[in-house]
Amino acid sequence: MKCKLLKKLALITAGIVTAVSMSACGGNSSGGEGGSESADGETVKVGLLHSLSGTMAISETSVRDAELLAIEEINAAGGVLGKQIEAVEEDGASEPSKFAEKAQKLIQDDEVATIFGCWTSASRKAVKPVVEGNNALLWYPVQYEGMESSPNIMYMGAAPNQQAVPAIEYCAEDMGYKTFYLLGSDYVFPQTANMIAKAQISALGLETVAEQYVPMGHTDFQTIIADIKSKQPDVVINTLNGDSNVAFFKQLADAGVSSDDVMTMSFSIAEEEVNSIGANLLDGHLVAWNYYMTTDTPENEKFVAAYKAKFGEDRVTSDPVEAAYIGVYLWKAACEAAGSFDVDAVKAAAGGIEFQAPEGKVVVNAENQHISKTVRIGKISADGTINEVKATDAPVEPDPYLTTYDWAVAANLQPLE
Amino acid sequence: MSFLKKNTKNIVFTIIVILLALIPLFADIGLLKSSSIVRYGRYITFAIVAIGLDLIWGYTGILSLGHGIYFCLGGYGMAMYLLMQKTGGKITDFMQRGGFTELPWFWKPFLNLPVSLILILVVPGLLAALIGYFTFKNRVRGVYFSIISQALTWAMYTLFNGLQPYTNGTNGITGIDTIIGSYYDSTNIKILFYAALAALVLVYALSTFLLGTKFGKILIAIRDGENRTHFSGYCVSSFKTFIYVLSAIFAAAAGAIYVNLNNSISTSEMTISFSVSMIIWVAVGGRGSLIGAVIGAILVSGCEFGISSAFPDMWQYIIGIFFTVVILFFRRGIVGFVSDAFQRLTALKSKEGSAA
Repeated sequence: MKCKLLKKLALITAGIVTAVSMSACGGNSSGGEGGSESADGETVKVGLLHSLSGTMAISETSVRDAELLAIEEINAAGGVLGKQIEAVEEDGASEPSKFAEKAQKLIQDDEVATIFGCWTSASRKAVKPVVEGNNALLWYPVQYEGMESSPNIMYMGAAPNQQAVPAIEYCAEDMGYKTFYLLGSDYVFPQTANMIAKAQISALGLETVAEQYVPMGHTDFQTIIADIKSKQPDVVINTLNGDSNVAFFKQLADAGVSSDDVMTMSFSIAEEEVNSIGANLLDGHLVAWNYYMTTDTPENEKFVAAYKAKFGEDRVTSDPVEAAYIGVYLWKAACEAAGSFDVDAVKAAAGGIEFQAPEGKVVVNAENQHISKTVRIGKISADGTINEVKATDAPVEPDPYLTTYDWAVAANLQPLE
Repeated sequence: MSFLKKNTKNIVFTIIVILLALIPLFADIGLLKSSSIVRYGRYITFAIVAIGLDLIWGYTGILSLGHGIYFCLGGYGMAMYLLMQKTGGKITDFMQRGGFTELPWFWKPFLNLPVSLILILVVPGLLAALIGYFTFKNRVRGVYFSIISQALTWAMYTLFNGLQPYTNGTNGITGIDTIIGSYYDSTNIKILFYAALAALVLVYALSTFLLGTKFGKILIAIRDGENRTHFSGYCVSSFKTFIYVLSAIFAAAAGAIYVNLNNSISTSEMTISFSVSMIIWVAVGGRGSLIGAVIGAILVSGCEFGISSAFPDMWQYIIGIFFTVVILFFRRGIVGFVSDAFQRLTALKSKEGSAA
């Protein structure tokens, strides 16, 4: 009888211990640190929210590194408004819900002044209501499908009119291509980019011969390649991502198709992807971005040297890496213009701010929170570098909803209101 | 697990519920960060799923690696209703981009709250009944069932990603309010938190009651000797289908509450890895005890959050080692380990007692 009672008692204690440890475990990161002082103490906290694990980790880690580099440089030069920047890193784990959860934690618990983060549209869409609901600020570093302009997000990557639209124009006008084959992974960016491309191609009086999607992570392209061979398009507009690109270009080479036979124009292949796919397979193919590691500006020379010095000689910079780097500097400039870290003040001050970036001059657009960017068409060479073949003379103003294009308006690509 | 007397389990469960109920109060007085209310609210919904999984895995021996389907169907149903509330029944931006000018037919029922709530539970229940009927009737069991459940999850994931004009693909449904108003109102969040807690208590009570009946004994009999139960004259497949459907409905209800506390749902909740992490909750907590599932779900989710903040670069290694250790050395999870330790302790004590 006594034993039973003892057993029960002990079990109950065990239950309590587990329960306490679980709340301690869940709360350990939030304890201490005095988050409320973020803007009053010697330092100012900022959140870095990227996937450090999961499928996106390989891309997002280098973006995070660029942000760390910018923070280190700014701190060495005296910080922002006399305060050193303290980075609070979080892992979004390639899952939108984790991104939203961690964004909320950074804003509410750590009380960071701003967040630099995300890569995929899904993660941005998950974080968007969190920053809007808490009136916080997110600096987003990647080119994307457009059709969005949240007052609480600063878009450092290209809107469609700064990447996809000029790329198709280049194919049509400079290369004289008449037939287009659209190939992409089955998710939001390729589908929206292709929707825009189809409207643009038909407005140019040219022909879209096929629009194909493969599931994400798909690696068997035999039927697609056979289809490409039979339809003989002038150019394949490629919005595949991740492993699919490796398989596609490998199998294209195995089928004996080079860039002389079928040209591709890719929107998701930057320097890092070139390295992982294999530069010899991509020799001569086209890409469209706003920045390449070879971009010839004094700022870029310094940036590439600093990046390699900090993270290793074999590391490469790319468009998203550079955009992330710009984001930190633009935030600093906006804070200094506002004279405070207050989100509303920073947002109000951000419009019109100029920055001499590695890609050239960029200006924050006050209306849509995007930045003006120079558009560059690049050709991949066998040594793994991407070299500019054409660039716009001046930075292109961002137009996320393509309102300045008659064919886009005619195709009803407008947001609902 | 006969050692764990029902009463003791219930007492532990009560303590956990009381501790959870105190979380909003702790947050109010500053002991916990304010975001912990909504976070623990989500963990509570995970605990509801875990109870359902424990019913089929721990008690009936059916290992489902695809309960994310039901969780997501419930979640998407709720999200569709909430989105329709927000747009006022108009079509959304992703439907417009997909070329629609009016609402797709299967969105229309989600304009109405009672119909939505019924569909949230009935659709996953029907799907589970269909899957259960065909697999269990054909005596598909063990690892074969696990593989089928996993394949179905993958198929569903691909389907939802592919039907972008209907489901918004990988982006999922975001930017919605909760069923009782704004997500950014702390009172709403507290109400939802206690609603989730009440649902947990309800699901636990219902499961405990079921297991106490003759029905519960038959489930255990199926787990321990399916053929024998069959030859004793019981229609094993009906019992299995029933409990499978019930656990799917628990998962769907949890998913619907989760969406309110998460403010969004996307296909990443439908990945196989999320379904497998549900199994990990039950395995770490200890299967076949219900209370183990609850402890496991909350403990694992809470630790993942805490450790990933402390070590953002390497938290998955730490969690991985923890899981491996639990599976290797504490096969019956935390609850099994604790009760074993007691059994040994009391056995030792009684030996000493008899020797003296």
